[in-house]
Amino acid sequence: MIAVFSGLLLRALVVLTGAALATFALLWHAPGDPALAIAEARYGQNVSKEVLDFIRSEAGFDDGFWTAFWAWLAPLLQGDFGQSSVNGRDVWPDLVTAMSYTFPLAIVSLALGLAVSMPLALIATRRPGSWLDRGAVALASVGVAIPAFWLGLLLILLFAVQLGWLPAMGAETATHGILPAMTLGFGIAASLTRIIRSGILEARGQPFLPAFTRRGVARHDIARDHVAPHAAVPVVTVLGLELAFLLEGLVVVEVIFARPGLGSFLVNAIFARDFPKVQAVVILAAVIFVVVNLAIDLIYRSLDPRLSGRDA
Amino acid sequence: MRSVCVLVTVCALIAIFGPMLAPHDPTAINIPNRLRPPGGEWLFGTDALGRDILSRLLHGARWSLGLAFVVSLLGLIIGTTIGLIAAQGGRLADWIAMRATDTFLAFPELIAAVVIAGVLGASTGSLIFALTVTGWMRYARVARGIGLSVSNRGYVVQARLAGLSPLAIARWHYLPSLLPSLIVVWTGMLARAILGISTLGFLGFGVQPPMPEWGTMLLDARIHMRSTPLQMIWPGLCVVVSVLAINLTGDALRDALAKQDAKT
Repeated sequence: MIAVFSGLLLRALVVLTGAALATFALLWHAPGDPALAIAEARYGQNVSKEVLDFIRSEAGFDDGFWTAFWAWLAPLLQGDFGQSSVNGRDVWPDLVTAMSYTFPLAIVSLALGLAVSMPLALIATRRPGSWLDRGAVALASVGVAIPAFWLGLLLILLFAVQLGWLPAMGAETATHGILPAMTLGFGIAASLTRIIRSGILEARGQPFLPAFTRRGVARHDIARDHVAPHAAVPVVTVLGLELAFLLEGLVVVEVIFARPGLGSFLVNAIFARDFPKVQAVVILAAVIFVVVNLAIDLIYRSLDPRLSGRDA
Repeated sequence: MRSVCVLVTVCALIAIFGPMLAPHDPTAINIPNRLRPPGGEWLFGTDALGRDILSRLLHGARWSLGLAFVVSLLGLIIGTTIGLIAAQGGRLADWIAMRATDTFLAFPELIAAVVIAGVLGASTGSLIFALTVTGWMRYARVARGIGLSVSNRGYVVQARLAGLSPLAIARWHYLPSLLPSLIVVWTGMLARAILGISTLGFLGFGVQPPMPEWGTMLLDARIHMRSTPLQMIWPGLCVVVSVLAINLTGDALRDALAKQDAKT
């Protein structure tokens, strides 16, 4: 088990190093002069050549790609995300503020998605093929096809513009979070319903279940001890995809609802060509994504005893 | 199943022939006719610059669906090649190819695409590049997995011993067993590409105005939500219907494939 864990950990580290390299390479080859962008942000429009040279040597741009990469990576490993190239402020405090808007929304949306999809899938699978089941499947199929930005706009149109019940823009109060959470929660609920439903149906088809029934084991005991663990395996495997879906949805939803979270942070930084901020968000997203996927991998292995001890 | 086929065919036909059916020039600005309600000469109304919405939707199909087709096909070619190299090229090639795959999977795909397209500067070229670079990994994993399982079968070993080149083995022995699974993956990626293109367009990193891409149209329509809410419905509905049609096709193909596997 320890060997497997350290193997997975090593792999995560290799992947994160690759991710950092890919991010830096993209911004290194971006059109435009990064030194000029930094200089203009600090000193205004007319910058002398000496200033540009100073910034280039300071950021390690002179000595080629690898030096510059290391000049960025070494402080990053100590938790220093650098300074914004637009206003010169440290990136990290702004990043923390953005996270304080994003994480509660992400958690509430995920909880909402689970709270809808689990009962729906359970009710639907009670009688497979019934109109209730078909309705749930149809709703889920349409749900995964609706882009988050369109659903968000429709909810604004209905609840904020037409009915005037809920605020649409900003993040001052908790009620500002209702429409964004509904938007994200709906998408998560739709895809989870499909997966939980097929997970339950597949678990029900396992050949050993009739044996328990004939031995007189109570129905709900079979459901809890034998169907649920089986159905959990496919659900856990797709949780990584759900997380990706959630992070992607957050970007769009924060832009639509004008919430100052990580998504808006990223989009604004790209428009302002504030590359230190872009790098910070991208690396943060990669770290979150890789760490959660590592955790999912471990849970998956503990759920499926056939996999424990086996190499990735 | 039949209705799904009809839906997909209609989507494809609109993407191919839609622009010819358009009653107006999709980019012709006509300020006196701005924000017309649906009806009359402008069946779906006009937008804030007086452009015919129906014509823009029909032309938009070529952008949204056509670009998604291109992007998902490029991903298919690149991903399958990398996957087959991993399966055939020995342990080192396998390790490198799979760690590269993992690295690109380390970012949520759409966020990576937003960053790449945004940093390279919004244009159709960077949109295609961004979505292709972030869209080949699933093909690579599937191709490698099936490739490895095929590589020990008798006919492949025999072909190798007979001195067939790796390229020929890939063409004649790997691809036929890969194709069904790859097509299922492809339908999923096609649907994702449509969502990706419209999302990037909506965020302002995709197809640039005045070109009528569905996501870009929604970005325009959003400002006039209060006065002409219907304008916001059509482009989104187009995205939903095409994604739904493709997803349902993918489900049907997957079921058919599973049935076939169960038989053999």
